[in-house]
Amino acid sequence: MVELRDVDMQFEEKKVLAGFSLKVQPQERLVIMGQSGSGKSTVLRLILGILRPAAGSVFFKRFEITRLRRRKLQRVRQHMGMVYQYSALLSSRNVRDNVALPLEELTDKPRSEIDKIVDEKLDLVGMKDTKDLLPEELSGGMRKRIALARALVLEPELILLDEPSAGLDPVIASVIDELIISLSEKSKVTSITVTHEMDTAFRIGTRMAMLYQGKIIEETEPEKFKQSKNPVVAQFLSGSTEGPILEGSLDAITKK
Amino acid sequence: MANAHPPVVIGQEITQIGRNFLREVGSLFWFIVNTFEETLERIQRGRVPFRAASFFRHTERAGVDSVPLVGLVSFFLGLTMALLTGYQLQRFGTERLIPGLVAIAFTRELGPLITGIMLAARIGAAFTAELGTMQVSEEVEAIESMGIGPLRFLVAPRMLALFLLMPCLSTISNIAAIFASSLICKAYFSIAFPYFLDLVKDSLLIRDIVTGILKSFLFGLLISAIACYRGLTVKGGAAGVGTSTTSSVVTAVTTVIGFDTLYNIVYSTFYPT
Repeated sequence: MVELRDVDMQFEEKKVLAGFSLKVQPQERLVIMGQSGSGKSTVLRLILGILRPAAGSVFFKRFEITRLRRRKLQRVRQHMGMVYQYSALLSSRNVRDNVALPLEELTDKPRSEIDKIVDEKLDLVGMKDTKDLLPEELSGGMRKRIALARALVLEPELILLDEPSAGLDPVIASVIDELIISLSEKSKVTSITVTHEMDTAFRIGTRMAMLYQGKIIEETEPEKFKQSKNPVVAQFLSGSTEGPILEGSLDAITKK
Repeated sequence: MANAHPPVVIGQEITQIGRNFLREVGSLFWFIVNTFEETLERIQRGRVPFRAASFFRHTERAGVDSVPLVGLVSFFLGLTMALLTGYQLQRFGTERLIPGLVAIAFTRELGPLITGIMLAARIGAAFTAELGTMQVSEEVEAIESMGIGPLRFLVAPRMLALFLLMPCLSTISNIAAIFASSLICKAYFSIAFPYFLDLVKDSLLIRDIVTGILKSFLFGLLISAIACYRGLTVKGGAAGVGTSTTSSVVTAVTTVIGFDTLYNIVYSTFYPT
């Protein structure tokens, strides 16, 4: 469903991805793990076509995202849903208008039908009673759930989640994780989640990938991932201060 | 090195400034073109480019809410202009020229210019701050990721609102200034209101009015484009929003004055008075 092939990406002097390749199969729940600033969110933005790689190709189904013109790209994006780390709800619109936005802007559905879909999606994320509230009146967990409802409103085939449980208490984080799992199972949605939260990653992932120094260094099932012999993965999972991750960082700092 | 060859360094800096300026002008031009393109594409697909409610919200903010400010400032300027020019003209016994002078100066030049400067400060700053905040909080990117064109959705209603409202506000500015000068003419130079109106009608040409209106449309487009462009290119969080807002006002005011001069040069060349 999604493929990134030999992608290079850099922001000014900083190289974020170097020869990055990844394949995602339909109905899979892939979790990409990695340190903060390792380029996990960049991968999601490349899939959406918000960022263009310096080299390499990004495919979504039969479309090469990197080559699409704006109009076509906008249409392809309607098959994807994105949940941002900080929710990115439109602050001047209430919950109903936030969730209804893609339907109002991109479909010809009448208002009554839009309201019905909005109710259905809000019900799905357990937020039906917040329709008239503004985002500033909601907690972080509630905003995340609204963002999830908005991402689902066009029935996407692919859902991209950027740190879905970051900053949430363990109970709300579990609620969000369960939602993602049930959506994937009921609606056959493929998902790509980037996170460095272990609990979330192992709860929702059907396949895990570790991003380190611009490349995927390990890609396997959750159980095998836990047993990985790769020193970077092992250190990342154990949270140890001894190992190649900090050595790499220290080398980089010393070189500067 | 810098001390050894100061003319070379200065030359390089001037070249760099020139290059940055041209890059900004080019980016702004393409920003306007892309906004038109996205909006037209949507119309071609038989759909409204943006919601009427969004458009009217901006016309209310940019237009209706600006009426008191534009009216009051123009009123005071009209008073001052009539008073100062009146005393000078009185020395030659030509104070009956005041109505025509104020009317022509405002309809052709000062009305659009003063309105442009005030709207650049009041509405341009608001547009930049609003879009800039949306940009740093990833709202703009979220809109884009849904497959909605942010230029069509966010910029087009603002641009159209200011484009259409500028001539109306310029007209209010003209009326306020002419009305103010009529009060001065009555109070200090014994020019009665009906005679004042006759003098205005005699001196004012349709051409003066059309020139002012055309300028207003142009200023409305430029101010909104600069404000939205600066807002959507904000970088660096809250501090970036502040910097971009200041930059937006400075750029818009300078551009309005610059284009006014350019317009007058072109107009005077083709239609010398």
